[in-house]
Amino acid sequence: MTRFIAWRILQLPLILAVVYLITFALVWLAPGSPYGNNDRALSEAAKNDLKVRFHAESWEKFLTYYPWQIVAHGDFGPSLSYEGWSVNDVLRSSLPVSISLGLLSILIALVFGCAAGVTAALHRGGILDFLSLAAALIGISLPPFVVAGMLIVIFSDGLHWLPSGGWGEFRHMILPGVALALMPMAYIARLTRVSMLDTLGHDFVRTARAKGLPKRTVVWKHAFRTAFLPVFTYLGPATAYAMTGSFVVETVFNIPGLGQHFVNGVKNRDQTLILGTVLVYAAFLLVLNLFVDIGYALIDPRIEINARPE
Amino acid sequence: MIRLLSIPVILAGLVAAAVFWSHDSGDSQRADFAFVNRGDNKCLDPNGMSWMQDIRIAYALWEGLYTPDPVTWKPVLGTADRATVDSTRTVWTIHIRPDARWSNSDPVKAGDFIFAWRRFLETPGEYTALHFYIRGARQYSADFADYFAARQKGDTKRAAPDFGSVGEKALDDQTIEVTLNDPVPFFPALLAFPPYFPMNEASMQPFKEKDGLHYNQKFTRPPYLVTNGPYRLAEWSFKRRLRMVASDYYWNRASVKSRVIDQIYAEDGTAAFRTYERGDVDWLAELDSDLAAQILAHGKRSDLHIFPAFGTYFYSLNCLPTLSDGRHNPLSDVRVRRALAMSIDREPIVKNVGRLGQPISFTYVPPHVFEGYVSPAGLPYDVARARRLLAEAGYPDGKGFPHLPILYNSEGLHGDIAQIIRRQWLDNLGIQMDLQGVEVKIFGEMQHTQQFAVSRASWYGDYADPSTFTDKYKSDSDDNEAKWNSPEYDRLCALAAKETDPQKRLDLLSRAEGILLNDAPIIPLYTYVNSYMFRDQVKGLPLLANAMLMFQPVHVIRSDDGKSSQ
Amino acid sequence: MKGELQSGRIRFGGGILLLLLGTCIVTLPWTLGSSSNFYYDRQHTDSPLLAPRMDTVWMWFGTSKLGQSLMGQCLLGGVISLTIGLAAAAISVVLGVSVGILAGYRGGWLDSLLMRIVDVLYALPYILLVILFKIALESPLGKILRSSAAANLVVLFLSIGLVSWLTMARVIRGQVLSLRTLPFIEAARAAGVPQHRIFLRHLLPNLIGPITVYATLTVPQAILQESLLSFLGIGIQKPLPTWGSLASDGLGLALAPVASCWWLLVFPCTLLGVTLLALNFVGDGLRDAFDPKAEASHI
Repeated sequence: MTRFIAWRILQLPLILAVVYLITFALVWLAPGSPYGNNDRALSEAAKNDLKVRFHAESWEKFLTYYPWQIVAHGDFGPSLSYEGWSVNDVLRSSLPVSISLGLLSILIALVFGCAAGVTAALHRGGILDFLSLAAALIGISLPPFVVAGMLIVIFSDGLHWLPSGGWGEFRHMILPGVALALMPMAYIARLTRVSMLDTLGHDFVRTARAKGLPKRTVVWKHAFRTAFLPVFTYLGPATAYAMTGSFVVETVFNIPGLGQHFVNGVKNRDQTLILGTVLVYAAFLLVLNLFVDIGYALIDPRIEINARPE
Repeated sequence: MIRLLSIPVILAGLVAAAVFWSHDSGDSQRADFAFVNRGDNKCLDPNGMSWMQDIRIAYALWEGLYTPDPVTWKPVLGTADRATVDSTRTVWTIHIRPDARWSNSDPVKAGDFIFAWRRFLETPGEYTALHFYIRGARQYSADFADYFAARQKGDTKRAAPDFGSVGEKALDDQTIEVTLNDPVPFFPALLAFPPYFPMNEASMQPFKEKDGLHYNQKFTRPPYLVTNGPYRLAEWSFKRRLRMVASDYYWNRASVKSRVIDQIYAEDGTAAFRTYERGDVDWLAELDSDLAAQILAHGKRSDLHIFPAFGTYFYSLNCLPTLSDGRHNPLSDVRVRRALAMSIDREPIVKNVGRLGQPISFTYVPPHVFEGYVSPAGLPYDVARARRLLAEAGYPDGKGFPHLPILYNSEGLHGDIAQIIRRQWLDNLGIQMDLQGVEVKIFGEMQHTQQFAVSRASWYGDYADPSTFTDKYKSDSDDNEAKWNSPEYDRLCALAAKETDPQKRLDLLSRAEGILLNDAPIIPLYTYVNSYMFRDQVKGLPLLANAMLMFQPVHVIRSDDGKSSQ
Repeated sequence: MKGELQSGRIRFGGGILLLLLGTCIVTLPWTLGSSSNFYYDRQHTDSPLLAPRMDTVWMWFGTSKLGQSLMGQCLLGGVISLTIGLAAAAISVVLGVSVGILAGYRGGWLDSLLMRIVDVLYALPYILLVILFKIALESPLGKILRSSAAANLVVLFLSIGLVSWLTMARVIRGQVLSLRTLPFIEAARAAGVPQHRIFLRHLLPNLIGPITVYATLTVPQAILQESLLSFLGIGIQKPLPTWGSLASDGLGLALAPVASCWWLLVFPCTLLGVTLLALNFVGDGLRDAFDPKAEASHI
């Protein structure tokens, strides 16, 4: 187990380096320049001056300067579109927001997704199966911007229960948390349903039921415990997705999170900002996956860690 | 089961901790005046500034030698208390008022202006060209770029160019002498514009980069930024809030009505509107146009203010003989350009898409903005003549006309307008065009490198003179995306630049615009409008065409509960 | 009993799909015929933004800002949305299946290499990849195809397809790995049956199930991603409509806190939602039917 973890940790920087290089190649080759405000043609002199200031005269210059700054000082460099802010500043300001929102949405997704999945499995083929699954699947059957907008129209404009946007208090988090939870919730519901069905057919469940144990005990204590494992595996990528924010949710609810920078960074061709946010995302994902693998062994000691199915 | 339950419990604990962690620690007290700007701030260094939202802030933080009058926007003396110009109208002697102070209480000196202006020549920004009215500035800027490039390559022997050759000098701590190439009648307006604002060198010194030339832009953030205007920058939380507090050292403190001003960030138009409706802000600087149109269409509200802007929406036609893909460019024929211009009915564009009562326009320089400027008549909407012109050019009923793309950036209304124009050219002339909506950065690059045949375009004026528009289509202008080249136009513009009689000057510029419209490298469609939202309690907020404001007179009359009532 | 219920779900979803798709295709002559009121680019300049009216058929769904019949746009948009979904899914299936089979069957260094590539691509946020592919591919393709509209469509298929094959590759690889050790394949190999025959006769038939399932589930994903691209302003080229672009265009006017133009959102979104729900149902039903014990850890 220790060897396995050590091996995975050793792989981390290598994968991050490749991620960095691929992202760099894509943003560097994308047409359009990070400099200027699009309305006016920026003079050659002004453009050159910015390139010198940002160490971006050529790709060699860029690659000999920034990666070293990241490794040696943990410094992602200045943002090319938000002058006055470094990428580190941007991350420092937006990561806490995205992380807290992401955790909330994963909690919501987990609780409601599992509930919907188990309900569907227990009433297989019945109307409850259909309804609970349909409810869970709405999140991946409508564009996220529509769902987010409807949440505001219903719960904020219509019922006046919750604020339509802003940041700072817990009540600000509820609607965007739900909007962000819909996608992982749909997957979790599906996973739970399938693996619940699978588990319910197993001998040990039947035996437990035959022994006269109450249904609730069998379902939750025996079947769900086993059925939860694939959901647990999915938690790694889902949490990374949720904790790095979403462009749509952040735009619609006006939240100063990290997700908007993936899109705005590309729109502005803000090369340093894109690279910074992508590295953070990738690191989150890899580390969380590692945690999930370790947690996997803790939850179910029967499973050997390197036997995780790919 | 306990172990399983622990997952949501741990998650809930983490959520609680994270909420606490991400909680805003800033002062939550409501400002005296709060507003949502046009977008997020990009750069608060006047040297690199070009976005409208940043320029708005700059007027609050800094003050030039001249400053715009808050009501009329005409330049009046600001940090200077007197200014004289010699008989050739090219040498200005300007005296700084003794009580002018930076926000750190230092006196404002002539050197602070020269330092800022010199920076524009050495580290060029978007508006460096506005400094080229000064004698020797253009040459110095070019020489310095060469010198710096050589030094970067390791050539240490090369001497720096002589700044003494530039016509801007500090005669003493209080006096500045500026020598211009031509009599520039709008020079006071330029002095009131952010590229001519002073900078406080001492406060920037700690942020100098290793190359000895640039500054780490962190100096533009509080508490480091030192400014000389009515306000100082107190807080700038990234994408959340920017707070300005009245400066304790501004010479004209009596004119400052609101002590604390907040700019609240809201990128999405609907989100911004909701922020306003909640009463969190007093002013929306740019209401989403769809929303504004809906409000207009369904019972006008007294807090929606729509008025003509200092900008024109138009279509630009590539005038080069060949297109970027090597094909012959039919638009290089003036008859084709005129035919295209005369076959657009602007009514449905403003009625169905713009929907805010935008004045339709046949001229490029917004009419009735400049006193004494008589706009030439543009090309009228006349389909019959357009069809004749097209036939003369060799494309009767559009036969043989190649498939050309209409370039636009796929944001806002541009796509809808392009669809209408495409239909009209198809219906009126029989010309089939493709739409090419691209992302805004690509749009900018394609437009500036002539990778288009027909392109959506727009222009906003910077200072109160028609040349802020006409300069764009001089043949040597960087912004002449149509690559239209008319010696007569250039000659008239040059004559106007030398002309000292104001009315004659305007007449020359008007004749130049007449040539531009008749040659049709551009097709003006309508004059932009600004849409503000603010309630009656807000006083001192002017409805200016350039959508700018001085914050000093702005204030809100509040009812007793401390919140502005609805 | 179980099978019947499964096929019931497939039949339910499939029926809805066929009905919608059929309507969209049957009406193509009207939505593409420039003389019809349903023509997607027919601009009724004097009747913009009209609420639905029952007395005129082309106004059943109301009109757009430019006075186009929203019904006509929705019908054509359905065809285009589904085409994008299918084409992107096809690209992702072809890529995913080839990579999966190659990795699983050949094994060794090739397997490690391909799987590490998949790992790295997983670690990149897909939204970023889609946008960058779209931006980077569009202008070179436009020059090759000499038409920006055609290039736009192809790039849409490609950029969505190129980011959605990862899961498919992993699943197929897993399947091949377990199939490879089964007695009948080993026997075939020992008997000297040529590689391509083993491939076609033994391997592929056993993979059809998971391939169909994941392909069905990729279609709704691709359609949804196209809507997201439209929301970001880099989706389908106007004037061609998709359900996603209609929804994102109508969003501002429909969700406006004053005087909502609800029809701009309700019709395209209902159609989109019902279709995707149906596709998801069919996919889920197929999965249950083919292999109820399918390892579903990577949907």
